[in-house]
Amino acid sequence: MAEATLKTVPLDRTRVLRWLQTYGVYAGVALLLVVNIVITPHFLSAENFRTQAVQVAPVIIVALGMALVIGTEGVDLSVGAVMALAASVTALYLGYGLLPALLVVAVFAAGAGLANGALVAFVGVQPIVATLALMVGGRGLALVLLPQLEDLRNPALASLGSGDVLGVPYLILIAAVLALLVAFVVRRTTFGRQLLAIGDSRPAAQLAGLPVRRVLIVVYVVCALLAAVAGVLATARLQASDPTSLGNLMELSAITAVVVGGTPLTGGRVNIAGTVAGAVLIQLLTATLIKHDLPPSWTQIAQAIVIVCAVYAARGRGKR
Amino acid sequence: MRGFPLPIHLFSVTRIGVTMQRTTHRSRLLARPVAVALAAAVALTASSCAKSEDDASGDKKPSAAADAGQKVVTPKPGSKTCTIEAYGGKKIDLEDATVGFSQSEKEANPFRIAETQSIKDEAARRGVKLLTANAQSQFSKQISDVQDLLAKGADLLVIAPLNSDGWDPVLQAAAAKKVPIVTIDRKINATACKDYVSFIASDFVEQGRRAADQMIEATGGKGEVAILLGSAGNNVTTERTKGFKERVAEKAPGLKVVFEQTGDFTREKGQQVTEQLIQSKPGIKGIYAENDEMGLGAVAALKGAGKKAGDVKIVTVDGTRNAVQGVVDGWISGVIESNPRFGPLAFQTLDTFTQGKEVPQDIVIQDSAYDADNAEQDLGKAY
Repeated sequence: MAEATLKTVPLDRTRVLRWLQTYGVYAGVALLLVVNIVITPHFLSAENFRTQAVQVAPVIIVALGMALVIGTEGVDLSVGAVMALAASVTALYLGYGLLPALLVVAVFAAGAGLANGALVAFVGVQPIVATLALMVGGRGLALVLLPQLEDLRNPALASLGSGDVLGVPYLILIAAVLALLVAFVVRRTTFGRQLLAIGDSRPAAQLAGLPVRRVLIVVYVVCALLAAVAGVLATARLQASDPTSLGNLMELSAITAVVVGGTPLTGGRVNIAGTVAGAVLIQLLTATLIKHDLPPSWTQIAQAIVIVCAVYAARGRGKR
Repeated sequence: MRGFPLPIHLFSVTRIGVTMQRTTHRSRLLARPVAVALAAAVALTASSCAKSEDDASGDKKPSAAADAGQKVVTPKPGSKTCTIEAYGGKKIDLEDATVGFSQSEKEANPFRIAETQSIKDEAARRGVKLLTANAQSQFSKQISDVQDLLAKGADLLVIAPLNSDGWDPVLQAAAAKKVPIVTIDRKINATACKDYVSFIASDFVEQGRRAADQMIEATGGKGEVAILLGSAGNNVTTERTKGFKERVAEKAPGLKVVFEQTGDFTREKGQQVTEQLIQSKPGIKGIYAENDEMGLGAVAALKGAGKKAGDVKIVTVDGTRNAVQGVVDGWISGVIESNPRFGPLAFQTLDTFTQGKEVPQDIVIQDSAYDADNAEQDLGKAY
C-alpha cells in the first residue's frame, strides 16, 4: 500500500524522511566522526575510540533490553534502578566470590523483571506505570541494602572492568556479543516474531493464539537482566558500588538511543543496529562537547535537538 | 469475528478473557500485603546471608576518639553578634534542656553521617536530651519534622536546612515558643538574631582559594589545569569555583584553567569526564575536583589510562577517608577539608547564648587540610 502511494504521489519530503529514519542515525554518526577528526585534537587514536566504546557499552546493553520492551509497545523505566540494585547486591555478596555474587544479582534482576512483566501481562497495568513503581522502589531497595558507596577490591571484578582480550576490553566484547545475540533473536527466532506481533497489536496476537503473557514476561525479565549486566559492568569499571548515583537517568539515555535508532515507540518493529548506532551517536555528541569544553547545558540542548529530529523523521513514517 | 471462521477459536478466546479477569481480581486483592511482605522478605534475606568484602576487617566506623572537633575562625572585628535579650528568649541551663536536631538529607554519604554522629556525640558528652529527625531530602518533610520537634518539647533547635527558602511557618512557630535556632552548613533566608540566632558553616569560597594554593604548590604554578565542577545551580559549586579561580588569577597567572566540566559530585561522572579530558588534552598538569568523589573518579580514570601516581596532580575538597587514603597512596596531591563535625560548635554556641552572653551571628568553622606531609598521621581524623 505504501509503495502504491509513493508511486502515484512522488513526494520528495516523504522519501527523505523515510531515508532519514532508516539511515539518519548512521549519517549522524559518520558526520560527527568526520567533524571530530577535523576539529578535535588527538581524536584519531585507538585509545580515544577505546574510551568512547567503553563508556557507551553499558548504555548499549541497557538499550538492547529497552528496544525489546519498546518492540512490544511497552517501556521500562526501571532499568536505572535495576542497575543500582545490581551494584548494591554485587557489593553485598562479593565476599563469596564473583560468580556467586553474579548469580545472586541475576536472581534479583529476574525478580524485578518478573514483577514488571507480571504487572503488565497479568494485571494489565500500563507499562509506563508498572515500571515506574520499580523505578522508585528498586533504587529504594538498593539503598536499603547498601546505604552508601562502597569500594570493591575483588581482583576478578576489577579485571572484568578494565581487562581486555587482544586489546579489546571485555566491556566492548560483552556489549557486541549481546547486541548480535539480541539481533539474532529478534530476526530469526519464533520468540522474536511473537514479540513483534504483540507490539503490532496485542489483541490480534492474543486472538491468534500466541502466548502473549509468557512472551511479555520473558521480555521484561530479559530487559532487567541486561540492565543488571550493565550495572555490574559499570560497577566493575568504577571498582566501587554506588547505588545512589549509578544508573541515574539511564532509562532516558536508553529510550533516546532506541528512538534515535529508528525503533518506533508504537511497537511492532525493532532496529537493533540502529539502537547501537543511536547510543554511539549520543556518546559521540557528549564527547565532542566535553572535549571542546562547552558548557554542560549545551549537551542537554544538543541531545534534545537530536531527539526532536528523530521523532520528526519517525512521524513521517507513521503518516504513510 | 470476521477473522475467526472456526468456532473453536471463539471458545478459546472467551476462556482467556475469563481467566484474565479472575487473575486481575485476585492480584488486586493480594497486591498490597503480598508486595509489602515480599519487600520485607527480600530485604531480610538479602541482608541476613550477605557477605561483603569488608565483613572480616570491620574497621569502617571512624572512632570517636578521632573526632577532631572544630575551631572557630576568629571573627572579623565589628561582625554582628546576638544576645538573648535582643532575641527575646529566656535564660535556661543547657544541661536541663531538650535539643531538637533536624537533618536534611538521608545519611547516605560520609558528610551527613559524620554530621549527625557529631551532634549525637556532643549531646551525649554534655548529657543533653536530644531529639533527632531526618527529612530524607524532602523539604516538606523537614518542615513537619521541625514542627514535630517543637511539639515534642524541644527548647532549642539545631537545623541543617535542605533549602534556604520557605521556612516562614517553622520560624513563626518557633518564635511563638521563643525557641532559639542555630542553622548549620546551609543558611536560612531570614533575619539573624530575630528569626534565628546563628549560622555555622564552612566558607566554601575560602575552600576554593585553599585548593588553589595546594594546586599552585603541586604544579609549581605553571601549566594547564582542569576543574571538575559539582552539580549545576548549587551554591557549593559556584563558591568553590569562584575561590579557586580568584586565587589562581591573583597568585599564579601561569596556571591556566582550560577545562571546566561537571561531574555532578559523583565518582562515575568524574571518571567519565576525566577519561575524555586526558585524551583530548594529554598535557594537562592538574585536576581540581570540587568534591572527593569526583577526585576519586579522576584517579580511577588515570589508573585506567595507564598513568602513574603523581603524573597529574589532583586536589579535592571534603576530606573523606577514601580521598585522604588517596593522598597517602600518592594519587592525590591535597585534600581541603569541609568539616562536617558541627556538634561541639553548635552546642557551645547554644550554651553561651542560653547563659545570656553574646554569640556571633555568622560562625565560620576552621577546615583543616591534608597533603603528603600529614595525610598518614591524620588519616584517623578523616570522616
